[in-house]
Amino acid sequence: MIDSILLVDDENLFHLVFEDACSLLDIALNLKAINSADEAEKYFADLVKENKTKPDCIFVDLNIIGSSFDGIELVRRINFEHGDGVVIGIISSSDDEQEQAKALKAGAQFWIIKSDEIEPRLEDFVKDFEGYETRTGPFKVYK
Amino acid sequence: MISLNDELKKELIELASEKNIFLEGNILKIINADGDHEFSDYIESSINRDKESRKKRLEITKTIQQQNKELIEWKAHNEQLNIDLQEALAASEKAKQLAENDLDVLQKRAQYELVGSIVKVALWVICGVGIITSMLFSVTLFMDIENKTIESSWSNMFSILLTNSFSIVGTIMGVKYASDKKGRGKCKCDD
Repeated sequence: MIDSILLVDDENLFHLVFEDACSLLDIALNLKAINSADEAEKYFADLVKENKTKPDCIFVDLNIIGSSFDGIELVRRINFEHGDGVVIGIISSSDDEQEQAKALKAGAQFWIIKSDEIEPRLEDFVKDFEGYETRTGPFKVYK
Repeated sequence: MISLNDELKKELIELASEKNIFLEGNILKIINADGDHEFSDYIESSINRDKESRKKRLEITKTIQQQNKELIEWKAHNEQLNIDLQEALAASEKAKQLAENDLDVLQKRAQYELVGSIVKVALWVICGVGIITSMLFSVTLFMDIENKTIESSWSNMFSILLTNSFSIVGTIMGVKYASDKKGRGKCKCDD
């Protein structure tokens, strides 16, 4: 089980879906959801300032409405500034290979396709989580 | 994992049996029953209840999410329809304006043709009457016939014909001038 997860997604309803799915599948003990990329960046800055524990895994939406930059840019910034030991990836309804290549370049370790049936993908992701933690798992798209 | 003392465990079990209030959420996953079978059953039933309520909530949330998605798609579809309608309306307005202009031109042409015909007929009548009376007057002069009546008639006829022809020509010129001026004014407005 993952200790703490951070979800960055503008859709509040998806926060509930993700939280319940994680709870039902015993994926995480602690889940925090944030609505925008700017807030997520500030959250990380505060964690560093207050010397608090970073989340173990971050799921970032590709197009975060109401943010000054997109999910891939957030992945790049978190990886560049706070990436040590944090598993980070994209969760999006898009299956665009070009975007996936950009995400990989920015440091994303996985890409989960967001749809009505998210649970099986999360289950597969949890099986591979150890590989992501040790940085041995390859970039994977969960369809 | 956290452990609870026996008193607290008992209170939690009593609360569940008497008031049907159970612990909820992820805290249940880190509480250790410490071999207490009764408390272990309590934790298990709490986890099951929590899972059941989460399943229900997940289903409802997914349904709402799906409905929201459909609404957003409908909104986009309606917006596109509105744009198409506005474009069609603008196109029909343009076509209407063109048709009105064409109709105006057609009406003017018909008016000019009518005026032309009237002028032609009027000129033929004027010339005809003039020629006939002049011929009659000439015949009376050459044949030395009593021509007092025809003379006065010819004189009156010519004065009337001249007056009327100037009047007709004047009216026609006036109408033409007014029409031209109106047409130019309308063109300026259209620009």
